[in-house]
Amino acid sequence: MESKGKKMEPQVTFLGAALAVLFTISMGGLLWWMLHPPRQIQPAVAKARYAVGAFKRILVPTSGVPYSEKGIELACRLGTEQEAEIVLTYVLEIPRTLPLNAPIPEAEAQADEALKRGKEIVELHHLVPILKLERAREAGEGIVKVAKDNQVDVIVLGIRPNWRGTQNIWGKTTDTLLRKAPCEVVIDKLPE
Amino acid sequence: MTVEAKAAPRQGKSELRRDVSVWGSYMWGFADVGADTYVALGLVMAYAQGATSLVFALAGIVYIMIGLAYTELASAYPVAGGGSYFALRGLGDFSGFVAGSALLLDYTIDIALFATASAGYINFFMPYIIGRDIASFVTNIGPFHNVNPVWCAETLILIGFLIWLNVRGIRESSFVNEVIGAVVIATESALVILAFLFAWRPELLAHQWNTQFPSLHNFMYGSSIAIISFVGLESISEVAQETRRPATVIPRTSITLIFTVFIFAVAFSTLGLGILPWQEFAANIDNPVAVLAEAIPFVGLIAGPFAAALGALILFISANTGIVGSSRLTYYLSKFGIISPWFDAVHPKYKTPIRTILVFSGIGVFETILSFLTPSAMDTLANMYAFGATLGYTMVFIALIKLRFSEPWTPRPYKMPLNIKLKYKGRKVLFPVLGVIGTLGVGTILFMVVLTHSIGRIAGPAWVLLCFGYYAWYRKSRGLPIFKSIEHNWEKQQMDVLTSAEEFDLLEQYKIALAERDKKRTELK
Repeated sequence: MESKGKKMEPQVTFLGAALAVLFTISMGGLLWWMLHPPRQIQPAVAKARYAVGAFKRILVPTSGVPYSEKGIELACRLGTEQEAEIVLTYVLEIPRTLPLNAPIPEAEAQADEALKRGKEIVELHHLVPILKLERAREAGEGIVKVAKDNQVDVIVLGIRPNWRGTQNIWGKTTDTLLRKAPCEVVIDKLPE
Repeated sequence: MTVEAKAAPRQGKSELRRDVSVWGSYMWGFADVGADTYVALGLVMAYAQGATSLVFALAGIVYIMIGLAYTELASAYPVAGGGSYFALRGLGDFSGFVAGSALLLDYTIDIALFATASAGYINFFMPYIIGRDIASFVTNIGPFHNVNPVWCAETLILIGFLIWLNVRGIRESSFVNEVIGAVVIATESALVILAFLFAWRPELLAHQWNTQFPSLHNFMYGSSIAIISFVGLESISEVAQETRRPATVIPRTSITLIFTVFIFAVAFSTLGLGILPWQEFAANIDNPVAVLAEAIPFVGLIAGPFAAALGALILFISANTGIVGSSRLTYYLSKFGIISPWFDAVHPKYKTPIRTILVFSGIGVFETILSFLTPSAMDTLANMYAFGATLGYTMVFIALIKLRFSEPWTPRPYKMPLNIKLKYKGRKVLFPVLGVIGTLGVGTILFMVVLTHSIGRIAGPAWVLLCFGYYAWYRKSRGLPIFKSIEHNWEKQQMDVLTSAEEFDLLEQYKIALAERDKKRTELK
């Protein structure tokens, strides 16, 4: 072997020193990163964390008023991480004196406008909006039907901040939803 | 008993215990792969000459892709079995068997080759201890010439010690890996830093690149040898079922292993060409790192014996990973009905797969004895080494692509980069572009191995055929199909594995993904 016993003279080059530093930083950085994994999650914590992550289709009833639009924003934030579909519904309450498919041009225009605004909010979050204009005798029944037809995972409902008189604090629609919804219900009530 | 019942992984018997830590998981891989560079550097230099760094970098790029594929699959399916399990899950029982037999060949050779090489480095000290060189023991036994019974006996003693260690348990075995591996990393790093600082001459590297570039044939042969220096990543996957929090830990240990080994391989080859002419490494194929270390100012005087001791240590732990890998692989194969359930017995006290350790280490012993009856034991073993790995890796890449389509809902804590979003049967699928490039890359190297490795191209396929004979007999005797797959309850098994690994985060993700899949299936109906 030619090199055996041969005394090598030290030779320092800028490139050699730079490569030595690069090597040290790369190796040190890699080993440090490897030895610091994220901490373990307990079963109950994981369950709670992914229970929300399981909301892949979220239903938001809207009536075009600010509190229901805040409900849409809230639903979008709930669904952003898992890229949930947001089902927006406007229920046209048809009086019992009229057939269910009777034209109500003014209310229909108002519903279209509300759904359009809701769609805009959803699209700002880069989520997929699904618009449903539903006709029913009562808003609560209509929402439950949409929830069932679309197999939603949760309903997010923004309700009015003020309530009056003798009726129950939730209102009739909310009450129906709490009793009959086929899925979870999240209610957002603003302070009065 | 129904076919399904026969195929289900057997429960109730003692399971492997989870004793491997983050550092232990990394060290299982490093112990295996780190030693490869130690052996392959001289061989590659002899063929790739002035282009050695380029050859290591090219083989390294293929290896990085293999590594990323393993990282994705091992973190998604943290089960003992490694590549064979991925092939079985993605492509079916027969593919699982083929990949398993190819990788098993490598593990048994790993035991024989690295124990032989380790004993070779120990022999460096023989003249100082007994006053005789190891070559002086060479003799002729009947028709066999140049047989070295002393070296062979040393190798067998080392393998015997490793068998005992592995029967005692993964904790003890892992501890040996962790300590020795840490010493090896620290010293190799010190060598690289000192060599770059005080000995490396970029002008010599440039000169060798310009004037000593190899022929195309040598370049290709060098590349097929260079891939040997990266074989062993599989080891991390093999101990996945004994690793604590495998889905969290394995992506980190695998990625760190991929890049640290790549950095070492490219650094050593770049240093080699910038410190000495490549011919010096070609003339000292047995101890290239010692030659390199000897040329470093300040440490050169002690570098010879030090590098020999270092070589003996790292090669010893590499042989150890061969025993662990082969025993875990066959343990898993028996669990899935690929080989007899007789193999999956776990030692009642130590909780280790005792029968697979004894049988497949025994095959390693047999290979050692056979190789010592040839003129060069090391050459014979090394020649067969690349075949099994490249065949197994090719199947792993195909399985990765298939699983992206057949099980898109399985949570993957790590995904290979560069994916194209596709819609397949109404589902969103991420098509792995790097998986396709990796398949082509490793497939090309397999082709080169078959073309250029005279022993490997015969012994490799012969081994797979021999295993097929056993597989066909076993499946037929149990009334199971040979080429078709039997029913496996993957979902239950995945949930059981994630629960036992305490990967609750992934478990919840998996349950939600399955629920969503079922919901979509109902909607489609």
